[in-house]
Amino acid sequence: MSTPPVNDPLMRVRGLSVDFPLGRGGLFGKPQMLRAVRGVDFDLAPGRTLGLVGESGSGKTTTAMAAIRLAPASGGQVMFDGTDLMGLSPGQMRQHRRHLQVIFQDPYSSLNPRDRVGAIVREPLDLMNVGDPAGRAARVEELFALVGLRRDQMALFPHQFSGGQRQRISIARALATNPRLIVCDEPVSALDVAIQAQILNLLRRLQGEFGLSYLFISHDLGVVQFICDDIAVMYLGEIVELADRPTLFSRPRHPYTSVLLEAAPSLARRKSQGYRRQGIVKGDPPSPLNLPPGCAFASRCPQAQARCRAEKPELQDTGAGKVACHFPL
Amino acid sequence: MTEPLMSLRDLRVEFDTRHGRVTALSGISLDVMPGETLGIVGESGCGKSITALAMMGLVPNPPGHVTGGSITFQGEDITRARPGRLRRLRGRDIAMIFQEPMTSLNPVFTVGDQIAEAILLHQDVSRAQADKQVVDLLATVGIPEPARRAKAYPHELSGGMRQRVMIAMAISCRPKLLIADEPTTALDVTVQAQIFDLMRDIQREFGVAIVLITHDMGAIAEMTDRVAVMYAGRIIEQGTSDQILDNPLHPYTRGLIGCIPVLGREAGDSARLPPLAEIPGIVPPLHLLGEGCAFAERCTLADDHCRAVRPALQEKGHPVACHHAGKAVPA
Repeated sequence: MSTPPVNDPLMRVRGLSVDFPLGRGGLFGKPQMLRAVRGVDFDLAPGRTLGLVGESGSGKTTTAMAAIRLAPASGGQVMFDGTDLMGLSPGQMRQHRRHLQVIFQDPYSSLNPRDRVGAIVREPLDLMNVGDPAGRAARVEELFALVGLRRDQMALFPHQFSGGQRQRISIARALATNPRLIVCDEPVSALDVAIQAQILNLLRRLQGEFGLSYLFISHDLGVVQFICDDIAVMYLGEIVELADRPTLFSRPRHPYTSVLLEAAPSLARRKSQGYRRQGIVKGDPPSPLNLPPGCAFASRCPQAQARCRAEKPELQDTGAGKVACHFPL
Repeated sequence: MTEPLMSLRDLRVEFDTRHGRVTALSGISLDVMPGETLGIVGESGCGKSITALAMMGLVPNPPGHVTGGSITFQGEDITRARPGRLRRLRGRDIAMIFQEPMTSLNPVFTVGDQIAEAILLHQDVSRAQADKQVVDLLATVGIPEPARRAKAYPHELSGGMRQRVMIAMAISCRPKLLIADEPTTALDVTVQAQIFDLMRDIQREFGVAIVLITHDMGAIAEMTDRVAVMYAGRIIEQGTSDQILDNPLHPYTRGLIGCIPVLGREAGDSARLPPLAEIPGIVPPLHLLGEGCAFAERCTLADDHCRAVRPALQEKGHPVACHHAGKAVPA
């Protein structure tokens, strides 16, 4: 199945920034700000999946949560289907929530342990006053069938399910209000590989069936290549490379993307053949509190030169995508 | 012929649970050769971590009991060793690193103190000598400014640094066997690559044998010489890593390899990649295992014979426990 690029994005994000205040360093100290997301732009087309990839602390989750107003943005604009989400009142935003749903990473902490799972899946319908009670009950049954759970399981509690089944419940809950966009925050990271494959196939099937758009957060490029159409690679709160899937995977331009690709799962690197990783980056990312003046990746980049440490590279068009690097590969 | 460093023979471990006594490990036989890396791979609950704990003599009792078989380390059966003897072996000859370095380090002592503690426990050296060893060890595991870092508390270090500290502690007494239980699962991919590199360097330098417990077939390919695949408390296939990855015979091993979204080669068009292979269902609970093959209810090849008679490990190029070993798995 191929999804052609569409001109009109479902979601258009421009200059999105998120700052977290950290309090002062002492009574008379300067208030410190952690700049978690720094001026992120992206478009998400209907029926497509945009992957946000990066390591912990790269701001990928904060970016997605700020885009659907589950984290407070300190700047920027988010247009969703012609509506400026940042300009909505809390009440209007609540009404818009039905179009924007989330699937979280940990299926153990994201379901209320004291509710029966049927009620968990029905809750969004109750909150949004969708239809009448009989209609909601029928809808819940339909949702259970959609995600591959049995009707008789509706009366059970979350602890009676395995991790993969719980993630199916989370997916059913997210689908309840017929959303246009689902933020998938590392939805398979906590699952065993065999179960991960079941959930990834399910997410893709549901996307085709309902024309859903996914904003898919992951650190695993193998997963991202399977499920995403476009990929934004993030490092320390910024997008450093943005391209469609075939372009990014066949020709990564940013050295950090290349490092991530090198680290992705592969069965071809064999100890028996004396495999050694190429281009391992040293150290950890710098602290987001003390960002270097130039490129944030310069301290770990195998290609970094003097200019990289002095001058910050802007995200620039490469013809096939965008990259923020003075010396793209 | 080289003698194995550690041999497990027909090991059986049982746990008391609210469902009564269940068998967590059954008929586990493994050899770890000096200087090699043995991988143990499987899904959550397959018994791979219990196998690692048993190798350290650390099966929690209660509720766990080693009820059969032997674990021989350099000719000595450690399932029969007294607690004092085990304490001397652990940390000195057999060391372990865990998945979450934050919970394995004591938050109220500096990392230098904690490494020194291990050295002072097992070696006849002064505190000053131990402190000097600590700085050398931190340098060996690639921690910059080791003298300063030795005075840091665990929370002041990143996840990758903490795992390096754990490795420094583990190799402080030059163990012959290092058991690594999912050592990189909690780490970012670039840091995982660094830790794998460090483990390889340490193996080359000190000749330590490594048992790598993992769910990640990529880690198996990159790090191990031989591998045992576990399912529901048993080894179901065993061989060199190349044999298992290139010619898996058990339908479970085949499924496990087929369902990984490995980086495919892009054809350069925008067509989506085909669906992933799936293993239907989930691992059965241990108290509900029947007489037959534990994988039968998830297996597309299973027949009545599979459900009635548990297959034993048989040599079919390499050992595999399946009545239909090597048969093509229908999609």
